[in-house]
Amino acid sequence: MTRNTQPEPCTPETATFELNGDVISHWVSPATTLLDILRDAGRIISARAGCRIGRCGACTVLLNGQAVPGCLVMAWQLSDCRVETVEGLTEDPDFIRVKEALATESALQCGYCTPGIAVSLVSGLRQHRCGEAVDLEEAVAGNLCRCTGYGGLKRAVDALKETSSET
Amino acid sequence: MELKAQPGMAGTGVLQRIGGRLGYATDQQHIPGLLHGAILRSRYAHARLLRVDTTRARSMPGVRAVVTAQDVPGVNRFGIVVRDQPVLCENRVRYEGDAIAAVAADSPEQARAALEVIDVDYAPLPVVADADTAEQMSPLHGESNLVARDTFTRGDSEAAFARCAVIVEHHYQTPRQMHAFMETEGGVAIPDNNGGVVFRVGCQSGHRDAEQLADILGLKSTQVTVEATPTGGAFGGKDEMTIQPVAGILALQTGLPVLVHLDRFESCRAGIKRHPVSVVMTTGCDSQGRILAHRVDALLDTGAYASLGPAVLENFLDHATAPLYRIEAYSVSGRLVYTNNGVSGAFRGFGGNQATFAVESQLDALAEKLTMCPLEFRRINLRTADEPGSRGQPVRWTAPPTDVLAAAAASPLWVPAGAAARRRWLTGTGMAMGAQGNGLGDGLPDSGGGRVSLTAEGRILLEFGFADYGQNLAEAITCLVCEGLGCTASDIDVVLGDSRGPDSGPTSASRSSVLVHGVLANTLPRWKDLVRGQAASLTNLPPEELDCGPGGLFHNSRQILSYQELAEKGQLAPMVVDASQAFPVAPDQDQPVGRYLQLQIATVARVAVDRLTGRVRVTDLHHITAAGRVIYPPGYLGQIEGAAIMGLGMTLTEDMPTREGRYLADNLDQYMIPTIHDAPDQRVDVLDNTPKTDSFPVRGIGELGIEAVAPAICSAIEAATSIRVQRLPVDPGYLLSALCAQEKKRS
Repeated sequence: MTRNTQPEPCTPETATFELNGDVISHWVSPATTLLDILRDAGRIISARAGCRIGRCGACTVLLNGQAVPGCLVMAWQLSDCRVETVEGLTEDPDFIRVKEALATESALQCGYCTPGIAVSLVSGLRQHRCGEAVDLEEAVAGNLCRCTGYGGLKRAVDALKETSSET
Repeated sequence: MELKAQPGMAGTGVLQRIGGRLGYATDQQHIPGLLHGAILRSRYAHARLLRVDTTRARSMPGVRAVVTAQDVPGVNRFGIVVRDQPVLCENRVRYEGDAIAAVAADSPEQARAALEVIDVDYAPLPVVADADTAEQMSPLHGESNLVARDTFTRGDSEAAFARCAVIVEHHYQTPRQMHAFMETEGGVAIPDNNGGVVFRVGCQSGHRDAEQLADILGLKSTQVTVEATPTGGAFGGKDEMTIQPVAGILALQTGLPVLVHLDRFESCRAGIKRHPVSVVMTTGCDSQGRILAHRVDALLDTGAYASLGPAVLENFLDHATAPLYRIEAYSVSGRLVYTNNGVSGAFRGFGGNQATFAVESQLDALAEKLTMCPLEFRRINLRTADEPGSRGQPVRWTAPPTDVLAAAAASPLWVPAGAAARRRWLTGTGMAMGAQGNGLGDGLPDSGGGRVSLTAEGRILLEFGFADYGQNLAEAITCLVCEGLGCTASDIDVVLGDSRGPDSGPTSASRSSVLVHGVLANTLPRWKDLVRGQAASLTNLPPEELDCGPGGLFHNSRQILSYQELAEKGQLAPMVVDASQAFPVAPDQDQPVGRYLQLQIATVARVAVDRLTGRVRVTDLHHITAAGRVIYPPGYLGQIEGAAIMGLGMTLTEDMPTREGRYLADNLDQYMIPTIHDAPDQRVDVLDNTPKTDSFPVRGIGELGIEAVAPAICSAIEAATSIRVQRLPVDPGYLLSALCAQEKKRS
């Protein structure tokens, strides 16, 4: 038997949060996942349901700056939160660095997992800039990639480490 | 020569992927009028269906259609080799992923709620849970649970065994590996205005799917279109159709687009896996180490439906003949059986890597018996480049096998094994070799087409039917076109995987690059002539003085027309060239066997085994490949690295065991694929001695990297611990108890 992945029915409420700079309000059951809200109301496609149990990292987004799996955050936890996905990070200097590193090092093949990886790396770089000791490889340890064998990703992480120590 | 990482092309496809702007088939959630499909799967691994009542489901809110077997408009069967799998089961279910009914509703929740109230009465049947005894059980199809059996022989192996000084016999088992592509099976079926259906779906062969879908949906093949691009990973697991038939039926019933996307739980339960293999190998050599005799008895579990099982069996047996080595006589046989254990089919390596694991382990065992260095043992048995293949067929290598071995022997990973006593980690280095053929092989019809044209906007457009799942085929095509025409990447557009375009055949069997190269070698010169002719008539210059170059046509190194100008002015004749390339097979063979184009790999592995837990950590992998020209270096590196880590997963952690026909893992928390922490540093060295005259200098390398990883790791484990593992994935508990037994003996 497969597990029941559906939340129990519950009185809907309005979830109001900031998504990539815009405030969105969505009338949903409090147990609806952030992943479903993003894909449905938010029309975000970069967060993807690879497992729905917080294991694969394909739905990783930034919640108040922290990388989290969107499938493990529920609507009731979202009040006044700030959510960022790669769609909203196009001008972000950390994301631009991450994007360049991933592209240059060919750290992706099918690319389905890549936005989640990019978000995890952006979060790592931000923490690093705030003076925290961050292991960038650890930052992507929760992101599964089945195509590349992580060779390109390791090289991208090395490149990001190099440029981080310079700045 | 070491293949160093170098900057990738970073084309729009790559940047869109990173930025989340590339919509996969399963991202099409906002098509107007879209319905969501869901599939009712069997509750039992094996049962008779007594009643399927959809009355209650039909009246559920938001439900637009509920379909069962009787709603399949055409043939209710599919399968690439044997059409034995029902789209929706009529009166019997044969595995717990079998589809019984399907619903289309306004929302995914409504569709799933409707599934809950479909009433099904089952009469459970005895479960064929064990491949070993499957043939004695009541048949799942036809007369017997034996789907296929095959034997390859050469010489008199019994007589050869009688002359052997040393014989080793071992039983090897390999796991039921899951593809675990990140995008689970899914896509959307969209009815068109003429009674046909357009599919946007993750798959590996749009044209072949379109043919099967036309039969299932009762449509003409011209009424079915499949857009196979982009796909979020496949690895063989999307070679067979997945959700296409059900989505198509629901779309025709409702007249609306229908999205079906399996979640990971359903993907684990219903999706194709790698064939588990149980094989006994007996191999003997003379006192000098020359292999004289080899016997193989293999059993492959294909599960409830054949899928590509018969072809996997053939490729397994082909690799079990030890293609790299000269063996006087062999008798290699195997059986493929039906069970209720899910469905197994195509998976990168395609049976070959399972066989290579056993063959290479046998070589190490013989070398050990003779107290010979395993590399030297291989050296004296390797074939030369001009010998025929192991099945007597002509073969075309790209380097002498002894060169590959010599490069592996020179690997920097060969540092002394072991560690000081009482240290926690035991380290060791091992190696294995593997051969991999390109193409469908064994005389199967195999060809592929492609097209080059100039668009109205002045873009050089390359079209192939191959699906794009990020294997860097578009980049490889771009490199070859730039080389052939002298243009730049920015002049070129590549469109892949649309069944309205040329039929290139399936995106499998490491065949795409070979066919792309063949098609381009044929089309580019003709297209260039066509374009020069057009340019000549526009400029009144002699065509032989014109040449293609970056951005346009050149005369005496000066650009005289851009491609855009040519497209605007030169509409006298369409500038399109099509070609189809037959996959290269051995010349002068009435009944071709095996594969003609052959590649090799040697993998050297270094491991550390934890004495406290029995866990194995692979610290380094070094591959030496002999696989023809490198077209796009980052893509080549990525294919070898990616396949190797997939092989590492199969060796150390990945298995989908069954109990009474039920899978014991249902998501990625129980089925463990490697993370970045499990992936070692890798190095790839490329040997390319392809003769200049070789008309097929480009080979497909999508599967090569997985070929020799498992035996190399097991060889390294043996170097570290003196324990040989014959069952994958390596069980840390087994290693730990064997290590404990060693300690006890010593003390």
